[in-house]
Amino acid sequence: MRNHRFHAVFLLAALIGALLSGCSAGAGTQGIDTPEEPLVILEWTGYEVTEYPQFFEPFSEKYGDQLNKVVSVSVFGDDAEAFSKVQSGFDADIIHPCSSWWGLYVDAGLVQPIDTSRLASWDEIPEVLQKQGEFNGQQYFVPWDWYYEALLVRSDLVPEMPTSWADLWDPQYAGHVSLWDNGEVSFAAAAMAFGLDPWNLTDEEDEFLKQKLIEIKPNLITYWLDYTQAIDLSASGDAWVVASAWQDTYSALADEGYDVTYVEPEEGYLAGVCGYGIGSESTNLDLAYEFLSAAIDKQSMANFSNEYWYGASNAAAAELIDPEAAELLRLNDLDFVLANTEFYQPLTAERRDKLSDMWNEIKAAP
Amino acid sequence: MSTQNLTNTPAVHNRRGIKEQLTGIPRRRQLIALISPASLWLFFLLILPLATLVMLSFVKTAFGEGSTVLTLEHYRAFLQNTIYQRLLWRSLGIALLVTVLTLLFSYPVAYFMAYFAGERQNLLLTILIIPAWTSFLLRVLAWRLILGSNGLLNTFLMGIGIIQEPITGLFFSTPAVIITLVYIWIPFAVLPIYVSLQRIEGNLFEASADLGARPWQTFWKVIFPLSLPGILAAFLFVFIPTVGEYVTPALVGGPNGLMIGNIIWDQFSRGLDWPMGATLSLMMMLIVIVPLFLSSGLAERLGLTGGGDE
Repeated sequence: MRNHRFHAVFLLAALIGALLSGCSAGAGTQGIDTPEEPLVILEWTGYEVTEYPQFFEPFSEKYGDQLNKVVSVSVFGDDAEAFSKVQSGFDADIIHPCSSWWGLYVDAGLVQPIDTSRLASWDEIPEVLQKQGEFNGQQYFVPWDWYYEALLVRSDLVPEMPTSWADLWDPQYAGHVSLWDNGEVSFAAAAMAFGLDPWNLTDEEDEFLKQKLIEIKPNLITYWLDYTQAIDLSASGDAWVVASAWQDTYSALADEGYDVTYVEPEEGYLAGVCGYGIGSESTNLDLAYEFLSAAIDKQSMANFSNEYWYGASNAAAAELIDPEAAELLRLNDLDFVLANTEFYQPLTAERRDKLSDMWNEIKAAP
Repeated sequence: MSTQNLTNTPAVHNRRGIKEQLTGIPRRRQLIALISPASLWLFFLLILPLATLVMLSFVKTAFGEGSTVLTLEHYRAFLQNTIYQRLLWRSLGIALLVTVLTLLFSYPVAYFMAYFAGERQNLLLTILIIPAWTSFLLRVLAWRLILGSNGLLNTFLMGIGIIQEPITGLFFSTPAVIITLVYIWIPFAVLPIYVSLQRIEGNLFEASADLGARPWQTFWKVIFPLSLPGILAAFLFVFIPTVGEYVTPALVGGPNGLMIGNIIWDQFSRGLDWPMGATLSLMMMLIVIVPLFLSSGLAERLGLTGGGDE
């Protein structure tokens, strides 16, 4: 892949790199315990090990105060952004995309196979999840979290509770709905609303959904860009219904005492699995495996579930999860969830490009 | 002081000889040393990226096999895609509106500072600049306090009973983009106008009055034409960055406030379609720069750019 990359871009990066390297050389001294190079992690906003050390307990406890020297975390707000960043040459050791994008990383040669024997607690992850991270007979991704996409509703503000994806188009919510600024996700939600199969859309169906997503605009207040903005829009009361919101937005608002409901749409939850891969250029493997083992540790995963009410890939974490949240969101019943929700299916490169173009056309439409 | 200098300077009449003796460096090398920081900066941060952009716009894809295949398909796509064109015209329209509004608000401020502020000119200048010290993002989001659904405007309108329910679309709309940008650009527009007003000689006012002009005639026939260079500079300062603006529309534009900058950003950051992003950037530059060149040529011929025979 490297050879084919656009030469001038490479040249430019090298030149700027040469200019900048002068500035960083000699900055900071290495402690005895810290590794030579920090572990570069490309992570979703709201998951950073530096902010949430409890999600990676054995790792963050071991390095303690040194954590900021051991890891270097960059964040992203959606999968397209992360993939684009890695594809354009950001050399991350650890990457955290969601399952529909995993195949794209493997095809583009951006991740390396994982030796699962080096992962403590690997066997505690159910096989059905493990298999999702397997490509060409090799494990490329370690499933970590699974989530729903549903409707986050301010119960105190809506005239009437929405019950389905289709209700997003209901004029009674005019000016108070917020969709995620994400073509893949919004098309899936629209397909659910109009009774289509989100993973096998024909060109006519794409066109129909595109019209529907243009038609919904009078109902929208704005598109939300990331987790923080979704929370902010709901908390301020500007958005009564935040579409495609994850459990963590719900838990964050409920913890703050907002009157919010996490509505399971009649057509069903959309759901997905995310997980960690190791960048193909990474040589920091000891630290990478140490980090991954800490991530799938059952106590780490339970801490994560309890904070955000997400599902944990480590089945053994179930016993440590707050029973109320687990009951409410069926976090401890993976089989049921797999059978009764629409899990995101792998994207192809063509589909990704088409979704990106269609989504831009929708947003640019008058 | 000056006599001291004179006695120390060797009596060489050749200018070149003096320079060489003072620094020990030949004049040619002095010039090279003087211009090299600026030219290096221009080369690495303007010419090289621009060349990269032009090359990118002609390849099929930025990554993989297609990165060595030359093609015109992105230009064709731009010409065929009405959405890109519509957004480009829309962005130009928004930028023009923002610029005109900014100038309308800035001129009186500059006029006041130049002629009526007296001793307090420096204080007023500082006050004008202070908001520019806070982060751009904060200045955009600060408008939420005013335009948000629980903001000042809504509270006020509800307080005096004009509306019963808060108007929620205010903060996420094209007008919000325009208001925010005008607010942000005002200091940048006031300064050049203020400077050009200050440069006008005071006795011109007296001369104008002596010849029987009324104050408004003095303004339109003397002050305003002489301040045109400042207005032109302010126009460029505001118009050019506004056409490509993408942060403000992303934050406050709502579902319909998109500008061409957002699509370009999206092509680079999420769409992975760098060639299309490069093509859009270049087309935008072309459409902005060509009329500007023409108009600045015209301005020069009409003697509006200043620095001439004042």
